[in-house]
Amino acid sequence: MQIEVGYRPAQSMARVVLENGEQIRAESGAMVGMSTNVQMTTAATGGMMGGLKRMFGGESFFQNTFTAQGGQGEVLLAHSLCGDSVVLPMTPQGFFIQSSSYIASSPWVNIETKVGGFKSFFAGEGVFVLKATAQQDAQVIVGAFGGIQELHCDGNLVIDTGHLVAWDTTLEYSVGKSAKGWMSSFLSGEGLVCHFRGQGRIWIQTRNPAEYGATIGRMLPPRES
Amino acid sequence: MRYELLDKPDFGMVRVHYEQAGEQMIVESSAMVARDAGIDMKTEMRGGLMAAAKRKLLGGESIFQNTFTATQPGQTLWLAPSAEGDVQALELDGSYEVLLNSGAYLGAAPSVGLDTKWGGAKGFFSGTGFFLLRCSGQGPLFFSSYGGIHAVDVGPNGYICDTDHVVGFTSGLSYDVQKLGGLKSLFLSGEGLVCRFHGQGRLWIATRSASALAAFVHPFRAVKSRN
Repeated sequence: MQIEVGYRPAQSMARVVLENGEQIRAESGAMVGMSTNVQMTTAATGGMMGGLKRMFGGESFFQNTFTAQGGQGEVLLAHSLCGDSVVLPMTPQGFFIQSSSYIASSPWVNIETKVGGFKSFFAGEGVFVLKATAQQDAQVIVGAFGGIQELHCDGNLVIDTGHLVAWDTTLEYSVGKSAKGWMSSFLSGEGLVCHFRGQGRIWIQTRNPAEYGATIGRMLPPRES
Repeated sequence: MRYELLDKPDFGMVRVHYEQAGEQMIVESSAMVARDAGIDMKTEMRGGLMAAAKRKLLGGESIFQNTFTATQPGQTLWLAPSAEGDVQALELDGSYEVLLNSGAYLGAAPSVGLDTKWGGAKGFFSGTGFFLLRCSGQGPLFFSSYGGIHAVDVGPNGYICDTDHVVGFTSGLSYDVQKLGGLKSLFLSGEGLVCRFHGQGRLWIATRSASALAAFVHPFRAVKSRN
């Protein structure tokens, strides 16, 4: 499988070349185009419960698996919002991925939804995370709103939950308020942040989708409920 | 006339250099960004009221288009679409036509003929509008898209493209709208309907869809109170 990402950064799209019989699994709605010898099947990966958990994770209930048949084939995959995409080679520890940043992965990548407790509940969609792991070489495609920056956490780092794309599972993380008190956290406009501890890489997106939506949304006339 | 494409693919813009007085570009209304003050601008309904109304209603283009005519050599005109995204230039030679999806047309030389073409009921199901704009003749043609524009040379095996992502294609291609996978996939896959292209020619695909952006922003609108 070969993946090349073109039209970076803002209009990025991944072109995935599949050899005969090779597969890629993608978030529903990510397919832009494909060759005619690629078959698409839809399944709740990980069974019904896996699908349900994924739904809570912000990713669609069902995922599509694309298989090249009778020769080489290609699939074009893109994020719905303008921004960059990167291909992450799988590591032994795997990645946590902010659910709406996930685009696609090798079919043997195991995707688990971490439906958190109290903390995640308060953090809104941004902190529902997917845990991606694999026992062998694999690739994961993630997409951002805006540009993607790779940060190195060496000790402690605080990141706005709306700017998270993915991070190494070697990092410990907890979601909390940005300032000391709830009142100042609220007034700071920073909302909820993710506290990271340890050593590892964090990929962030330079724009926050929820802030963008809120900015545009308040300029639009009210909708019918 | 010479032209170049600037700031591709994120914020594409066309710069047209007129080499002789009398050269013309016919441009979608509001697409002009800047022009030399000496360039003559005329607003008209190209092809008369009926043709213009048909283009507006059916092809999604404006009723009025602007004609920019050079009054002396060396004048410059800048054109851009309204949304962020790519622009593409094509030098038509008369050997083929180009079919553009609604709203993709940006401008062309007057030697390029524009006509709306019935996309058939299949256009209805694809949600991309009933009609395609057919561009024929010879000369430069500019079109644009929300997102980047990716060209695919379609061979005997055909190609499949999400209906929301079709920008345009050459006349050697035809398409059917179909669903991907089984019935379960139609409702659960999130992929909806696709255009399956066959024939021989070039297909232009947008890397983003404006309707996906609209769908993203929609839930952020306030909800109308019920009193």
